[in-house]
Amino acid sequence: MKKRIVSLTLVAAMAGSLAACGGNTTAETTAAPAADAGTTAEAAAEGTEEAAPADGQTVLKWAMWDKDLTVYYQPLIDAYEAAHPEVKIELVDLGSSDYQTVLATQLTGSGSDFDVVTIKDVPGYTTLVNKGVLEPLDEYISRDGVDLAAFKGLTDQVKVDDKLYELPFRSDFWVMFYNKDIFDAAGVDYPTNDMTFEEYDALARSVTNTTPGEEVYGAHYHTWRSAIQLFGILDGKNSIIGGNYDFLKPYYELILAEQEDGVCQDYATLKTSNLHYSGAFSQGNVAMMNQGTWFIATLIDKIKSGEYTECTNWGMVKYPHAEGVEPGSTLATITALAIPTTAKDKDMSWDFVKFVCGEEGADILASTGTIPAIMNDDIAEMISSIEGFPADEGSKEALQTANLYLEMPVSPNSSEIEIVLNEAHDNIMIGNSTIDEGIADMNEKISAILGQ
Amino acid sequence: MKIKNTKTRAFRVILYVVLIALALMMLVPFAWMLSASFKLDKDVFIFPIQWIPENPRWQNYVDIWNRIPLLKFVLNTVKLTLIVTFLQLLTSSFAAYAFSKLNFKGKNTLFLAYIATIAVPWQVYMVPQFMMMRSFGLADTHLAIICLQAFSAFGVFMMKQFYEGIPTELCEAARIDGMSEYQIWYRIMLPLSKPALSTLTIFTFVNTWNDFLGPLIYLTTEAKKTLQLGLRMFISQFGSEYGLIMAASVLSLIPVLIVFLSLQKYFVEGVAASGVKG
Amino acid sequence: MGQKKSVDPAEVKRKLAVLEPQLEAMLQRFEEEQDPKKKLKLGKQADRIRDRIRQAKTGERFSRQTKRDIVAYSFIAPNFIGFAVFTLGPVIFAFILAFLNWDGNNPMRFAGLENFAMMIGNQRFLASLKNTIVYCVATVPITLAAALGLAVLLNQKIKGRNFFRTVSFFPYVASLVAVAAVWNMLFSPAKSGPINMILYNLGMAAKDLPKWSADKDWVMFTIVFFSVWKNMGYYMVIYLAGLQGINSELYEACSLDGANAWQRFRYITWPQLQPTTFFVTIILTINCFKVYDIVYMLAGGSNGVLNESAIVLVYHIYEEAFRNWNLGYASAVAMVLFLIVLAITLVQFRGEKKYAN
Repeated sequence: MKKRIVSLTLVAAMAGSLAACGGNTTAETTAAPAADAGTTAEAAAEGTEEAAPADGQTVLKWAMWDKDLTVYYQPLIDAYEAAHPEVKIELVDLGSSDYQTVLATQLTGSGSDFDVVTIKDVPGYTTLVNKGVLEPLDEYISRDGVDLAAFKGLTDQVKVDDKLYELPFRSDFWVMFYNKDIFDAAGVDYPTNDMTFEEYDALARSVTNTTPGEEVYGAHYHTWRSAIQLFGILDGKNSIIGGNYDFLKPYYELILAEQEDGVCQDYATLKTSNLHYSGAFSQGNVAMMNQGTWFIATLIDKIKSGEYTECTNWGMVKYPHAEGVEPGSTLATITALAIPTTAKDKDMSWDFVKFVCGEEGADILASTGTIPAIMNDDIAEMISSIEGFPADEGSKEALQTANLYLEMPVSPNSSEIEIVLNEAHDNIMIGNSTIDEGIADMNEKISAILGQ
Repeated sequence: MKIKNTKTRAFRVILYVVLIALALMMLVPFAWMLSASFKLDKDVFIFPIQWIPENPRWQNYVDIWNRIPLLKFVLNTVKLTLIVTFLQLLTSSFAAYAFSKLNFKGKNTLFLAYIATIAVPWQVYMVPQFMMMRSFGLADTHLAIICLQAFSAFGVFMMKQFYEGIPTELCEAARIDGMSEYQIWYRIMLPLSKPALSTLTIFTFVNTWNDFLGPLIYLTTEAKKTLQLGLRMFISQFGSEYGLIMAASVLSLIPVLIVFLSLQKYFVEGVAASGVKG
Repeated sequence: MGQKKSVDPAEVKRKLAVLEPQLEAMLQRFEEEQDPKKKLKLGKQADRIRDRIRQAKTGERFSRQTKRDIVAYSFIAPNFIGFAVFTLGPVIFAFILAFLNWDGNNPMRFAGLENFAMMIGNQRFLASLKNTIVYCVATVPITLAAALGLAVLLNQKIKGRNFFRTVSFFPYVASLVAVAAVWNMLFSPAKSGPINMILYNLGMAAKDLPKWSADKDWVMFTIVFFSVWKNMGYYMVIYLAGLQGINSELYEACSLDGANAWQRFRYITWPQLQPTTFFVTIILTINCFKVYDIVYMLAGGSNGVLNESAIVLVYHIYEEAFRNWNLGYASAVAMVLFLIVLAITLVQFRGEKKYAN
């Protein structure tokens, strides 16, 4: 009896404070529009989810990152909205640093209201496919007769169980940036579009200066594992998820020797100091640096604004290649669009995806200096004619690639493999383990993952 | 007598030397932030460090206002921080009073439930929590952040520990005088726990002000974002604008320091309990 | 709630006829009982019967104890309801998840103890467990001592006290990016790094210089050192607040007895700070077990992946939950973490009770 009374009063008390909570809610919701009042009408419309946009438009919610730092979103949207007045594209910026985590969280369960999502990397893509939150695109592709050959085999590399869940719109690849002033000062010829690794190493050493206070580094490798490890897969014979990594040995020997001799900066110091590759290149004491084509836009922009003064005379060439392999094989990183299974009108979403990833989208991307996933001579011409792009023929030619290999191929275990590869790379480069120990470690752990 | 004086003086000198050395150690990161905030991005992580930039770049402080809606973010953060801190103080000290000065059924169990959740990392229940909040229709609202932050177990635990230091005789005397428990809480406990309340205010303020992951997951509309999210907008995929980040960090530190300084004075008032316990 | 109702005299009489003999019998037993513990229990039972007699006489609906409970619950309710809905609920759900396989979207599958079995064979889990324990064992006592020392020092009447206090709080509030950058700069692995320069000048061979946060043998040391420095200001503030609660008369009495500074600390400050120390120890232990961002910033590098030499439990949880979306496994790891912390907390609780007695 007593117990029941206690629980009854407890319930009453709870109801009381819930009411208080409810009071809070109303206060909150009334406060929110007031707070929004200062911003544009568009922002206010974003606030209420189901808001019907002006004159019967349908809102298409697009998840992406770096809204204000990325130049191509607005032109893409403007072009699409001009052609489709009934659609209004709304950008939702989920931030760059934890994009895949936040996106996956938002798509968890069934309450998400995104219509189109950007996919940042392959492990993130695999995760979403495994979670079953992405719509397979094959039907739409065959229905509308989209030609996948334009993607140069990239779409085949991101198929999961023979189904395609994303369509790339942006495809950056790695090239060798170099500082012409350093080569001029050393009286050495510029790098070329056809270098073997031996020639590249010799060239880097020939411009290196280890005198304290006037150091010049012949090469610079950022602390990502891709910057060194993936030299090994460019001959097309080996896979980074194959389970055997003995083929990496010569490349590690080459780079560690360079590090030992002061040709490139010490990995441990770079890692702990968090020095960004752009910061390193802009110091003007780095002769060559391998990096993705996304760096082109940064270089052009920062030189124009007067921030970079020591590397204004730059150029780029194709990646060095192994003996007997066609030059122009390089690593690719794709940025793609996908449609979540929860999208309200998938045909509408698909139409937008088709636009951005197709030729119209590619032209718009190229006009902003971004490398689209579809690359042909016209587009290469467009990019190399941008103001600030190096004028020499070599740099323009470097935009043409032969074989593209994804930095991380699609595999159900890609994120676990990624961790092992990173750790072994780190240990080898710092000297926590020898090359042989590091490779043995990779062989053992990744075989175990693949054998599961 | 004289010997003792020199001894004390020597002791004092050593004390100050130690303190100043410590203070320098503590100030180094702030000096670094300040110096970085006047630099170009490319110079921020250059080693050896240049403490006083040759050409201080005031432009960073102008740019942060233009590049992101900083004022809007600051207002959002202020609003959230104030509401959370107020709710946290009120409900925690209220609950802590019951836990420390009243006897009731299930006290130990309830208290254990509080402490137990402190030990569970947020990363673990973040996803179920997010799904729950979204089913309540709270995704992308400030209310979600408030609910998340305002009822922490930490506050209850801390206030309870401090209340335990306040003599129970005070409460009993008040009960005999005919005060209700609510009056005792308001008239006796609250005034006596100013140092603890100040501490909790500072901690809650700092945590809410600096919270990043919560707002990141819950707030997707630009107009609702907070200052820390705004700061992260400078960290892009292909480059990092550290000069701007540091300029904004320096600005975002100011309110925290003001709160800390203004609540400092409560750390010197002793509990006015003399005569009760001795 | 407990307002008076019209009392039916016959009803009262009937109730009293039952209750009064009960009370008398209880009091009789109370008188006869020798064992003090049982005596106390009987006394309480007698009180309860008295309560019910009073209730019957006045016709109030609730006994005194119930009323007291209601008042207490009303104090707790505002916080507890929010806490129960927004924290406790999801936490309980997460515990259930530990026995399931779930990625957030596909249907849940019962896994039994599978997730726990997986841990035993997982090298990253074992490494993170080891690192976390090493980190806690080293960090907790040092931080506690440093915070207490600093608080006692800054509670003296000295010039510039406010300045020093504020400055001590600085590393805690300053942005982690900035603090980690400064720290990695001081402990740069290069020979030209400030700390390594000192070691070199002390006669250490250039080859043997530690690479600090990049070195698998030194990384934990660097992290411990860093976190003590970053967090001691935070715990100092708690101690400062605790110090204000000590009655100054105690010190005066002590001084009259001719006690020196150490004795004053030993016999007054330390025992009086016991509740604070208890709180600080528990919170500090829990926070140490939950360490994540410091390690990530210091040893994560540009890709933010922690190696086995530095990985900690919460990072392992994070990568399993958000890189691999093994929510069940992540919850199971969290449960292990939780059980460790719970065990430590219970030991501390017992210790506190013993001390209080």
